[in-house]
Amino acid sequence: MAVKYEMVAGLETHVELSTRTKIFCGCTTAFGGEPNTHCCPICIGLPGTLPKLNERVVEYAIKAGLATHCRIAENARMDRKNYVYPDLPKAYQISQFDKPLCEGGYIELSNGRKIRLTRIHIEEDAGKLVHERGDTYVDYNRGGVPLIEIVSEPDIRSIDEAKEYLEKIQLIMKYIGVSDCKMQEGSLRCDVNISLRPVGSEKFGTRCEIKNMNSFTYMERAMKYEFERQADLLDSGEEVIQETRRYDVESGCTESMRGKEDAQDYRYFREPDLVAIFTPAEKVEALRGQLPELPDSRMKRYTEMGIAPADASLLVKYQAVAQYFDAAADGVKNPKNVSNFMVGQMFRRMPTDEEKERCAIVSAVPPENLNALVKLLDEGKIRMNQAKTVLETMMDTGKAPSELISAEDMAGVGQDDLLEICRKVIGENAANVADYLGGKERAIQPMIGAVMRATKGKADAKAAQQMLKQMMEEGVK
Amino acid sequence: MAVVTKEEILKIANLSKLWVSEEELEALTRDMGEIIEFANTINAVSDSAEEFDGIHRLSNVFRPDEVIPSYPREKILKNVDGGEDGYFPVKKRG
Amino acid sequence: MEQKRPGLIRSLQRRLEQKELSCRELTEEYLKAIERDNPALNAYILTTRLAALETAERVDARLAAGEKLLPLEGIPMTLKDNISTDGIETTCCSKILKGYTPIYDASVWGLLKKNNAVLLGKTNMDEFAMGSSSENSCFGGSKNPHNTERVAGGSSGGGASAVAGNLAAYALGSDTGGSIRQPASFCGVVGLKPTYGAVSRYGLIAYASSLDQIGPIAATVEDAAAVFDAISLPDPMDSTCRGKQSAVSGILTGEIEGLRIGVAKEYFDGIKQPEVAAALEKAVRTYEKLGAKIVSFELPILKYALPVYYILACAEATSNLGRYDGIRYGYRTENYKNINEMICKTRSEGFGAEVKRRIMLGNYVLSSGYYDAYYKKAQNLRGTIVKAFQSAFEQCDVILAPTVPMTAFPVGFTGQDQVETYLTDICTVPVNIAGLPGVSVPCGRDGKGLPIGMQLIGNSFREGIILNAAYAFEQRDEYLSECFSKVEMGVKF
Repeated sequence: MAVKYEMVAGLETHVELSTRTKIFCGCTTAFGGEPNTHCCPICIGLPGTLPKLNERVVEYAIKAGLATHCRIAENARMDRKNYVYPDLPKAYQISQFDKPLCEGGYIELSNGRKIRLTRIHIEEDAGKLVHERGDTYVDYNRGGVPLIEIVSEPDIRSIDEAKEYLEKIQLIMKYIGVSDCKMQEGSLRCDVNISLRPVGSEKFGTRCEIKNMNSFTYMERAMKYEFERQADLLDSGEEVIQETRRYDVESGCTESMRGKEDAQDYRYFREPDLVAIFTPAEKVEALRGQLPELPDSRMKRYTEMGIAPADASLLVKYQAVAQYFDAAADGVKNPKNVSNFMVGQMFRRMPTDEEKERCAIVSAVPPENLNALVKLLDEGKIRMNQAKTVLETMMDTGKAPSELISAEDMAGVGQDDLLEICRKVIGENAANVADYLGGKERAIQPMIGAVMRATKGKADAKAAQQMLKQMMEEGVK
Repeated sequence: MAVVTKEEILKIANLSKLWVSEEELEALTRDMGEIIEFANTINAVSDSAEEFDGIHRLSNVFRPDEVIPSYPREKILKNVDGGEDGYFPVKKRG
Repeated sequence: MEQKRPGLIRSLQRRLEQKELSCRELTEEYLKAIERDNPALNAYILTTRLAALETAERVDARLAAGEKLLPLEGIPMTLKDNISTDGIETTCCSKILKGYTPIYDASVWGLLKKNNAVLLGKTNMDEFAMGSSSENSCFGGSKNPHNTERVAGGSSGGGASAVAGNLAAYALGSDTGGSIRQPASFCGVVGLKPTYGAVSRYGLIAYASSLDQIGPIAATVEDAAAVFDAISLPDPMDSTCRGKQSAVSGILTGEIEGLRIGVAKEYFDGIKQPEVAAALEKAVRTYEKLGAKIVSFELPILKYALPVYYILACAEATSNLGRYDGIRYGYRTENYKNINEMICKTRSEGFGAEVKRRIMLGNYVLSSGYYDAYYKKAQNLRGTIVKAFQSAFEQCDVILAPTVPMTAFPVGFTGQDQVETYLTDICTVPVNIAGLPGVSVPCGRDGKGLPIGMQLIGNSFREGIILNAAYAFEQRDEYLSECFSKVEMGVKF
C-alpha cells in the first residue's frame, strides 16, 4: 500500500541589499561594470586590510526584521566563517553566527499559516567565478556586496507555500526599500531544504539542501523532482542521505554535490576586526517609525474598503500602483470604482511588470485626474459607460476630465427629453412592445439600448427602463 | 597514549590546505602532540562565569554609505601574472 | 627638570635645524653605514635608497625656505617588513609573499610619510611575525650588534638590530606576544608595545588580530615617546583603533615620587639566568631609591597566559593566513592539475615550518569537536587574565618585570624544542593577552656583555606613566655605565 508523504521544507533566502556601497568598504555596488573595476584593497582582501561596517546595512537588516515581526537583538556580533574557495578573497566570509541582528519573526500566508523565521543576519557576498574552455577566472566586483540571509523554520508544506513565502519576502523587501529583489539579476536567491515524512507523522525525515535557486520556475521544478526522488527512495525502503544538491536546468533533476560542499567545518569564531553592534530600544522604534505601510496591512485596508481580494492583491503587488490608488481614491465615495478602472482598463496599458512597478500610466493620467473622474460619477454627473469612454480618452490624450466632458454632457438627460425619446422608441419597436406585454421580459432590453444610443449614453439606464415599462403598461404607443 | 593521531593531523592539514608528505607526517605528529599537550594545561583552570566580549571594548563603529572611488584595475591586478583580460586567473590549462 | 640626555631624534633634528649637516648628508651617512655593516647584521632585507634621498631633499628644501621641522621630519628610520608600503615590496620575510608589492600604505606609514620621515628600507623579521629570534625568516636571521653570534631576537629582530647597530634612528616593529619588547631587550634598546587599540593596524599584515600592535623601537625613552605620539592617532580605517588618550612626550619629567611599582612573584620565579634575576632585583631597589613605593603581590593566573596565547593567536593566525593561495598576489606553484592542488602546493611550498605548525594548531583548536575545549575556554581565560591585571592595577600604577628571563640566545639555538622556545615569551605574552601597554628598557648586562631588559607594564592607555617611569630610570647618571653598551658600528655620533 503506497504511503502518502508530506513535504517539509525550509528556505534560506539571500537578499542583496540596495545600499550604495559594499558592506565593508566604499566601493560601489552598482551592477555591471568591467570585471575587477569595482574593487579596492579591502574587498580583494589584500594583506593588512581591515573591514569597516556600513551603517546602512545594519539599518536595512533591522528594517527587514521589523517588517517580518522579528525581535531585534540589543547586542549583535560579527563572526568569521572560514572556508577556501577562489571567489572568497580572505578565505573567510564575515557573517553572523550566534548573535544575529534579528530573530524569531514570521511570514503569514494567504491560507492563514505562519511560516516562522529563525533569524535574519548580515554577511558579505563572494566574487564570481567564470569558467571558460577549461580555465577558471574570478571577478571580485560582487565581492563584499551586502546580503541579509533570512532563514525560515521547516514550516513550509507545499510548493505553492514555498512560492508564496518567497513572493512575500520579495514584496516586503521591495516595500521597505532595502532591495530590488530581482531573482534574474541575482539580488534574490535561495536554498531549499526538503525532507519527507508520512502524513500524520510528527518526526522529521532526513533533509537535503538544494542550493542556489535563482528562479521561481526552477525552484518549483527542483522541489517537485526532489519530492519524487525522496518518495521513491522511501517507498523502496531505502534511506535518504543527508546531502547538498544542485538543480540541473538541462536535465530537470537535482544532483548530489557530495564531496564538494559537504562536511565543511566552518570553524566559526568572533571577528576580531569588528566591534559589537548595540541597538537600543529607542533606535529600534525610530527605525520602525520609518517603515511604510506594509503589504499585509495594506491588503487588509483595501479589502475592508470593499475591493475584491484578487484586485486588492494586484494593487498591493506593485507599491507604486498602490500609492497611485491611494491618491486617486482620496475622498471618493466608492473606492471600488477606482480599483475597477485601474485593474479593468489602466492595467491593459501597463502590460509588463516593469511598467506596473513604476505605475507607468501616471505620466498620462496623474492620480488627481482619475480622482476627479470618479468624483463626477459619485455626484451622478456622468454615467459609468460614459466614464469608461472618457477614461480611454484620458489615457490616449493625457487630458483631464474637465477638458473632455462638457457641461452639456454632464447635464444628463432631462425628464421631458427622456419622455420624448421613450415615446419615439416605443413607436419604432411595436414588435418588442407586443412581446413584452405578452410576457417576454427580455424584450425590453433592445429598447433600453435604443434609448441609450439616442441619448449618446447619457441617460440613466434604470430610469429609462422604468419609464419604458410605465409607458408600455399605460398603453402609450 | 598519543595526544593526537596521524589521521587527525592529516585531517587538519587538509583543512589548512597544506600537504604533508609521509616523511614529514611522523615529525609533525610528534611536534603537534607536544604543542597540544601544552595547550591542554588550560584545563587546570575553571571557567569564569562571564563571557569575554573582546579586548577592544568598543561598539557601533560604522562607516557612512558613501561611495569612495574604486582602485584602477591595473593596480588591483598588479600583483598577478596573466590578468590581461581583466580577470584574476585561477586555473589555466597547459 | 632639565633633560640630562636628549633623545637621538631631538639631537638630530637640532643639528638639521642648525644646519650642522643637511638631511641629505645625514641620510647618506646612514645609507653608507647600512652598506658597510648590514651584511654582518642582516637587519635590513631591502634598502630604499632613492626614495630616502628624495625625501631628504624635500626636507632640505623646506629647511632652506625657513620652515620649522615637523615631528620626526627628516629622521632616517625603518619599517618592519610586515608593514605595508605602497609601491615597495612587503614580504613578511616569507617565500609566499616574495615579490608582493602593496598598492596602499599602512596608516601609520602614511602618518610618518606625510611628515617626511626618511625611510631607509624594510627590516627583517620572523616569517609572518611567528618566532622569537628572527631566524624563521626566508632571508635568514638578524644578528645582535652586541655579539653577532647571538640572535637579535624576534620577531622584530631586524628593527632592533638596526637601531642598536646605529643603522636607523628608530624603527617601527609589531608586537603580538613580545615581538617588539624581546628584541629590544636582547639588543639593549627601548621597545614599546602600545595599548591594544592605541595605534592603527590598518596595513599591518595580520598575524593575530586581537593581539597585534605596531610600536616603536628606539635608542631612548624620549625617542620612543616621540614616535608613539606621532603614530597613535585614531584611524577611520581600523574599527578597533581609538588612538592614544593623551600625548606622552610633554609629560616626561622623571618625577616618580610616590609611584606605586608592583612586583608579581610569578614573573620573578621563572628567571633561569641568575644575572637577569640580579639585574631586575637591582632595578627594584633603584626605583625605591628614586622614591617609588614597591608593592608585592601574586598573579597566579600568569602561568596560563602562554597556552591561552598560543591557542588564540594560532586560531586567529590560521584564519588570517587562509588568503595566501597564489591567486591574487604572491608565490604560486608552477605545476598543478586542479585548483585544490594549486592551493595546497602553493601554501606548502611558500610557508616555512613554524608558520605551518601554527596554522595547523589554529585549525585544530577551532575545529568542531575541539572548539569548546580549546578556543572557547581560552577566550574565557583571557577574560580572567584581563580582570587579574585590572585588580593588580588597583594596588599599583606600574608593574615591573623582566622582559625575557634570559639574554640573547646563540644563533641556531631555536628550533630544538618547540615548547621550550615558546616559554621564553612568558614575561611578554600576558601583556598582549590583557591588551596593556608595555615598554622594555635596558637595565643591565650579563657577564658576556649581553643586554638585559626590564619591562614596565601599565594599565590601558597609560603609556605616559610607564614611559615616565622608564625615563626616570634611564636619566640617572649611573645608567650609562650600568645599562648602556656602546656598539662600534653603524653611524658614528
